[in-house]
Amino acid sequence: MKKARKMAQFEISDLSFTYPLKEEKTIKNINLKVESGEFITLIGRSGSGKTTLLRQLKTVLAPVGKKEGTVLFNGKELSTIGLREESSKIGYVMQNPESQTVTDRVWHELAFGLESLGVDQNTIRLRVAEMASFFGIQNWFNKDVAELSGGQKQLLNLASVMAMQPEVLILDEPTSQLDPIAASDFLATIKKINLELGTTIIITEHRLEDVIHMSDRIIVMEDGKIIADEKPENVGKVLLQKNSEIFHSMPTPVKVYYSVKSDGMPPLTVREGRSWLLKEFDERDIRVKDLNPDSIYDIDDKELALEVKEVWMRYRKEGDDILKDVNLFVPSGSIFALLGGNGTGKSTLLKVISGICSPYRGSIRVKGKKASRDLLGKTITMLPQDPKSIFVKKTVKEELMEMVEKGEEEKIMELAKLCEVDSLFDSHPYDLSGGETERVALCKVLLTDPDILLLDEPTKGMDNFFKEKFAEIMINLKKRGVTVILVSHDAEFCAEYADYTGLFFDGSVITVNVPDRFFRNNSFYTTKANRMSKGIFDAVKTSDLIELYRINQGQ
Amino acid sequence: MKFENYHPVINLIFFVSAVYMAIAFSHPVYIALSFIAFFAYSVKRCGKKQLVFNLLLIPLILLFTAYYSFYTHFGVTVIKQNYIGNSITLESVLYGLSIGMRAGTVLMIMSLVLKLFTSDRVTYLFGRVSPKLSLFISVALRMIPRANDYARKINEAQMCIGKGKGQGNIFRRFTNSLRRVYILLMWFFENIVEESHSMKARGYSLKGRTAFSIYRFDNRDRSIILLFSICITFIMSMKFLSQTDIFYNPQLIIGRITAVSVGGYIVYFIYLMLPCIIETVNDIRYRKNI
Repeated sequence: MKKARKMAQFEISDLSFTYPLKEEKTIKNINLKVESGEFITLIGRSGSGKTTLLRQLKTVLAPVGKKEGTVLFNGKELSTIGLREESSKIGYVMQNPESQTVTDRVWHELAFGLESLGVDQNTIRLRVAEMASFFGIQNWFNKDVAELSGGQKQLLNLASVMAMQPEVLILDEPTSQLDPIAASDFLATIKKINLELGTTIIITEHRLEDVIHMSDRIIVMEDGKIIADEKPENVGKVLLQKNSEIFHSMPTPVKVYYSVKSDGMPPLTVREGRSWLLKEFDERDIRVKDLNPDSIYDIDDKELALEVKEVWMRYRKEGDDILKDVNLFVPSGSIFALLGGNGTGKSTLLKVISGICSPYRGSIRVKGKKASRDLLGKTITMLPQDPKSIFVKKTVKEELMEMVEKGEEEKIMELAKLCEVDSLFDSHPYDLSGGETERVALCKVLLTDPDILLLDEPTKGMDNFFKEKFAEIMINLKKRGVTVILVSHDAEFCAEYADYTGLFFDGSVITVNVPDRFFRNNSFYTTKANRMSKGIFDAVKTSDLIELYRINQGQ
Repeated sequence: MKFENYHPVINLIFFVSAVYMAIAFSHPVYIALSFIAFFAYSVKRCGKKQLVFNLLLIPLILLFTAYYSFYTHFGVTVIKQNYIGNSITLESVLYGLSIGMRAGTVLMIMSLVLKLFTSDRVTYLFGRVSPKLSLFISVALRMIPRANDYARKINEAQMCIGKGKGQGNIFRRFTNSLRRVYILLMWFFENIVEESHSMKARGYSLKGRTAFSIYRFDNRDRSIILLFSICITFIMSMKFLSQTDIFYNPQLIIGRITAVSVGGYIVYFIYLMLPCIIETVNDIRYRKNI
């Protein structure tokens, strides 16, 4: 008879790992115990060793290098349990939904792991059916994978791992390529797996706001070491005491709480944040409700960088209209953010503005000139979604050099400083981290001397530190007179840095306003700070909320 | 119910046998029957465009016949002499026509095959041979649309730095296209690495892989296979009785038409029309239900 298991699911002791040709250890003396059925969230800046650690828990994915210490899985050394057992018991989901789905049909993808294990037809049929029902993907069971959205693909990856009935599910930033709605659906499914199947979850995630309340423990990594291993409600305090910069990636309610209080239980979600604020200001007079009550939207006397008038566009003659009567006016030298859901036509709008596609009705004027392909790469440019699609050289320096004539090296130095890539000149563009690649690509497109820079979902996959850095670059560009137009899902980012914000829905611009006014009345397309304080203050930015709290508490 | 709702093996048997028969049988009645059968079925399945295609085939077949008889001069029944003095014979005209018709039939069958054999059927059929092979095909089928998509993205990105399709002079355009190919290749290799990780994580390297399919061989499939084997046996016995062939060279020699040969024609036509009949019967049944 099988004995009930008492040992931990994973027991990691003194684990260190060094990549070949590197002096420094990437992860250092990690000690970690994960109990069966736990939900563990791993956070830290990119490059802090999260992925390296996770890959040590799945030997087929573990990189080549020097490993010290032990990893026990159910009490046995991980490397001794055999590939078959490891494949089925330890599930691993990676970042990119595209490259993880390897077959062309949904049902084939679901069956892939079971085929590997050599399971017979009838068993596969049952397991696949079961998983399709659990994940609610039975309606697209027979579809071609290429027809699915990114969120659906990632859900499929998850389901195809779950079909092997793993005991542990390891997820390495699974939502970084998804839009916020798909991301929270995905994370809710993870929680469902944890609650209903009892599967142990180990996840790294930069959208901490969406997972913190689900987690049993939060583990914080910095420079290859674990600096905190705490319950969700304590982790903020510990990070604050250690004065760690990872505190910036804490959810808004936690940040607001610790800005005004030094101990106690912080609220983790918007709901908890709201009830905390309501309690604090119960029967108290609100002296200042709004920090800038006079902000208004007025562009009448401003010079326009872009005028879009009654633009209609469809890709195919018989197809549906993607853009329907779009009107948009963007003042010169401003940061203009357009928010909106997936598939509303935001990316198409950027293609039309840039001249890649042309509308069948309406007019677009870029700096007073009619938009066309000739302006692209000169007056107007766009940062590609995949930065690697503009890299062809061996070093970053060559990459930038090819954009200018001889004798214009100063220009490169100047922009490289602005984008903070001057220290990367000798690296190969493919060896850079995600954030660095993005900056080099930005620097490269900026060398075309554009007046208008278009950004399509620039913050997708960025952690909070890099977002701040990216925003700084954007603001510096604005100072140089460049107009930045971005489309995004990221309300927090737009609220913080944009001069004007618009809502894009069903192929047209619904409304445009200054962020302060724009976000105030929304309940979904708005910031966490606004949702927390609705009815108490009129705050949009987190910093405004903190300020208002202080003023009204008389601090 | 459509013919492709049957098990892929059945579709395969039908089309392979149909192509074989269309090519191998040289008897004019058989040729005409297969031409008519697939004319009808291809138009039923592929619609108006196919009708235009099929109708265009007819003048092409006639043109081929003229070409063939003009340059090939076997046979004894001289119809006419052409302007360089070579004889155009009845035998070569008819033989040319028979080749043209057979080729036309195969083309119509092929458009049906393209329509009916979706990629998962092909993958499944290869999976019967080797699970790894079928997986390879499936992976390739996933890769192709993705590579296309990425090629488009590369072009758009390159346009943003003024190095896209149709930007710059001719020399530049050429080097720009090389750049795009280079980037696509880099993407491809990087992608293969990630894909292989995802495959390894799900036990790809384990021995004893099976190939799962969503198809089941049920009683309906068994009954049609029974029907198929009766028809095929009958038709093939016609072949061995030399009922399906005639001589064109040096002289047209056609076997006598007997009760047996008429039986052969009927069975052959029924066999080729089976998918069409099954689908029509079903259409009618559905209409009644509504």
